[in-house]
Amino acid sequence: MKKGLITLIVVGVVLLSGFIWIKNAYNNMVVSDENVQAAWAQVENVYQRRADLIPNLVSTVKGYAAHESETLESVVSARAKATQVTVDPTDITPEAISQFNAAQGELSTALGRLLLIQENYPDLKANQNFLELQAQLEGTENRIATERMKFNEAAKAFNTGIRKFPDNIIASMFGFEKKAYFEAQAGTETAPKVEF
Amino acid sequence: MKRYILAIAAAVLCCITASAIPSRPSPARLVNDLAGLFTDQQETELERMLVAFDDSTSNQIAVVTANDLEGYEASEYATRIGIDWGVGSEKFDNGIVILVKPKTSSAGQVFIAVGYGLEGAIPDAYAKRVINDEMIPRFMENDYYGGVYDACEVLMKLASGEISQVREYEEDDEIYAIIAFLLILGLILYVLIKANKNGGSGGNGGSRGRNIYTGPIITMGNDYSSWGSSSRGGFGGGFGGFGGGSFGGGGAGGSW
Repeated sequence: MKKGLITLIVVGVVLLSGFIWIKNAYNNMVVSDENVQAAWAQVENVYQRRADLIPNLVSTVKGYAAHESETLESVVSARAKATQVTVDPTDITPEAISQFNAAQGELSTALGRLLLIQENYPDLKANQNFLELQAQLEGTENRIATERMKFNEAAKAFNTGIRKFPDNIIASMFGFEKKAYFEAQAGTETAPKVEF
Repeated sequence: MKRYILAIAAAVLCCITASAIPSRPSPARLVNDLAGLFTDQQETELERMLVAFDDSTSNQIAVVTANDLEGYEASEYATRIGIDWGVGSEKFDNGIVILVKPKTSSAGQVFIAVGYGLEGAIPDAYAKRVINDEMIPRFMENDYYGGVYDACEVLMKLASGEISQVREYEEDDEIYAIIAFLLILGLILYVLIKANKNGGSGGNGGSRGRNIYTGPIITMGNDYSSWGSSSRGGFGGGFGGFGGGSFGGGGAGGSW
């Protein structure tokens, strides 16, 4: 009788500590998953901020350089394409990120070309509105760089958490999957250098 | 264009390589003159002004000078310092980092990084104006201190319009000190009453009990009060430490 009671207590303690371990590990993963999603939302925010600046920029440039319609159109269409590509924050896969990255990268290239034409239009270059927009664009690019960095850090923390032993058992039990990172787009390092 | 491709590349790079950003100063200081642009007296004066501002409004302005940005963009460098050091409070994210890289063989660079919470009070365009109007003209004449000082004054005016709250920990300390005092008072009374009750059985034993118990309690009380006053003393002198604020890449830069 007494032996049975002791066994019961031991089993109870083991079960309880097992439960506490699973609960803590699971909850930590949920928190860190939420962090990644929040970081992703910030990334989309700052890209949206850039997209919002573009119509204004395009119309300002149009006023001075109407016959650069090809460049202007490529910016408009790249913007339309980029705003269509969204990533489901609960399912951040490498494919989704690289698709997003490619669309936004295309917009960056088109924008770069648009900013380059100012060299041929001194009036545009001196336009107060254009200068202001350019400063805002610059600030937005800084924010994009920062939020991408923060997203990568959050994703790294999450990925490390779900791969550590023994928590990886729980991660696979509940179906937590590795998050993708932002990587420098292939070719951006060698992209034509464009000065403001 | 080149700037932001570089910035993005740097962002990715710094996730891969260990960051070469200077680590948080210990003890915490708001003025970190790593390039040696200020005299000791100037440094003290600037620090005092910024600490007083931190105490009265909870906005933190950190000034960092560096001779070499280790290949980072100025924006990246300043923002990373803000995030890594946690300039500004965690609640408001109200930190500012002023980074100055003096003109050496390479061009001089300056960046004002603005924390999330102050982006409304100091939009990028304002930061840019501070740089162009207050800083660069003076930097060109090698008056680094004057430029930084004036920039701080303008930024302080802008920032205090948005967030102006006296540091919370001062009030907290006071409350803790009062609670601690009451607790100790209660303990002493309790011991005294108990000793009095025991006193009937034997005066000798009672007085010994008092000696044993009140001794450590009184010392503890002294510890508490000195701890409280030293951190309150920070109001006039030392800096209380960075609060864990975050940055999103806001602000503006310039070069000369």
